[in-house]
Amino acid sequence: MRAQPLVATDRASLILQLVPYLISKGEVTVVDAARDFDVEPAEMRSMVEKLTVIGLPGDGGFWQMANDLFDIDWDLLDEQDTISITNAVGLERTPRLTAREAAALLAGLQMAASLPGVGDSGVVQGLLAKLAAGASSAPAEVIVATPVVDDVRTTVAEAVQRGVAVSFAYRAPDAPVTTRTVDPVKVHIADGQWYLQGWCHLRQAIRTFHLDRVSDVVLTDIPSTHQSDALPGLFEPGETDVVVELRCRKDVVPLLGEFAARAVVRGKGEFRTVSLRVGDERSLKRLAARLGGDVEIVSPASAREAARAWADAGLAQYS
Amino acid sequence: MPTEPLRSAPEERLVNLVVALLATEQGLTKDTILSSVSGYREQGAAGASKDALEKMFERDKDSLRSLGVPIETIGDYADPDDLREARYRVPTSEYSLPVDIDFTPAEIAVLNLASGVWGETSMSASARSGLRKIQALGIEVDAPIIGYAPRISLREPSFAPLQRAIEQARVVEFDYIKGGSDAAHRRRVQPWALVEYDGRWHVYGFDARQDAERTFLLSRIASDVVVTRTSFDLALREGAGEKALAGLRAVADRQQARLQVEPGTEAVLRLHRRAVGEDDTGCLVPYVDAQIFADELASYGPEVRVIDPPELAEVVAARLRRARDLHTEAGG
Repeated sequence: MRAQPLVATDRASLILQLVPYLISKGEVTVVDAARDFDVEPAEMRSMVEKLTVIGLPGDGGFWQMANDLFDIDWDLLDEQDTISITNAVGLERTPRLTAREAAALLAGLQMAASLPGVGDSGVVQGLLAKLAAGASSAPAEVIVATPVVDDVRTTVAEAVQRGVAVSFAYRAPDAPVTTRTVDPVKVHIADGQWYLQGWCHLRQAIRTFHLDRVSDVVLTDIPSTHQSDALPGLFEPGETDVVVELRCRKDVVPLLGEFAARAVVRGKGEFRTVSLRVGDERSLKRLAARLGGDVEIVSPASAREAARAWADAGLAQYS
Repeated sequence: MPTEPLRSAPEERLVNLVVALLATEQGLTKDTILSSVSGYREQGAAGASKDALEKMFERDKDSLRSLGVPIETIGDYADPDDLREARYRVPTSEYSLPVDIDFTPAEIAVLNLASGVWGETSMSASARSGLRKIQALGIEVDAPIIGYAPRISLREPSFAPLQRAIEQARVVEFDYIKGGSDAAHRRRVQPWALVEYDGRWHVYGFDARQDAERTFLLSRIASDVVVTRTSFDLALREGAGEKALAGLRAVADRQQARLQVEPGTEAVLRLHRRAVGEDDTGCLVPYVDAQIFADELASYGPEVRVIDPPELAEVVAARLRRARDLHTEAGG
């Protein structure tokens, strides 16, 4: 769903797209159309109702005749919540993409092209040209540089596509290496980092694995049985997590990166108090060192001491 | 219930205008539009001044153009600058997606994936709207590509105004903090392309005061981006993205840190993939921005020692020192 409320221009844009959509669908329920247009059903219904007062200009200042206006099957709408256009007076063709729409899709395509099994199908190149041809004006160049995909990533992606479990050595930070067998569900790519979310046979639960920490990956022939499991958010805290309290300037909060998404931020003025749940409180020593004094771990004391010792040990190398 | 029953919603007027301008071959004069297109006509009848209606028409034209609706102005042949008798129309061929454009079911599946990369960011609505237009062509869809959730992060508020400025070929101004310094300086830039490299957004363009092409990190823009009225030649944008990318890669080729990395640690896992060389003294890892690389290296604490260059070692040590000092006194 959209974060921003719709303004008149957005609604006009939606109505221009709605007519060809409705014509191509023939009949479509209000709920389905609302989903396809990312609006609430009530908003969709109101757009459709508005459509019926839109039409060709009246002749010489007179009101339009009924057949100069768009019309819908009102009975169908009232009785079955279904939309069907009965009279169209234009707009049958789909508008071109705006420069912004084309840029958004072109950048997305560059990213999609880097994914094993997607980019190598040759589809992307053709699409790049078609999108450029379908835009109303030259889109702003938005380039996404995608790094080379290695064997780990290719193998994990293949496991997801084939629906088989994958096994690998996993080294979580500050923990010994474990061997995991995982029913893969989804490969997430966020901030250039790759993660595998899947059912871990060892932990008997859905777990997220950073692919940089994965090695010796092997495709098994065990069919995955958890492929359609509902997934928690990528960085959603677990039940066993500890609460850590941080203090930082307000402009530092966004720099907390993946932590910011699950943090509770309090306070006014220059400084903020940030509470967040982490699986391992020691993991924050890395964050504290990364932000080099811009973030202070207030509690628990063990996490604070870990941060001090970590930075101190790092510093000892340079003295 | 509507509070002003006489007045129709502005989106109705905008769409009525598009319908009217698409339906005419020879174009409609402003007078005809204001007196016959629903939305203007009612307001005129209700006593709105001609001046107010004309202003409304001008605004509506701008709004529609921002939606990609190509409104053509046909002037007086004898005097093209005289717009009193100008006629307005929207050529169907330029309004709608080309008839010969055709997408295969496999292409739609890839576009579906591509449109999802923006997550909840400001680009998401544009991507979804673009996809919807293509889907309205009534193409069959392959089974969706499952198993991937690629996301492009977009946290910088400067992205949207910069993109608008690139689209409109307008010069921008903003305060910029150069890496390693604390003071922000005003920059005046022709923005040519936006580039995501190493998970970070950059804007590439021509810096008027430096009289040279420059690449700026969006995260270091310290003010609102002001889009000025000064425009630049659209042709300058061509191929700018690739040039910017080549520039960033050249920097990474030139700047390599020699690092000693403790075996079996998080640092090895994260850095090894990026290393371009290795010998007894350490591995070579390329980087673009010393400050950003220093952030990462500091996070590894004792797992990494920077051997070379000394400036980088100094920046890393400074971060570690500040982090240690901050956590040395009793917590409060």
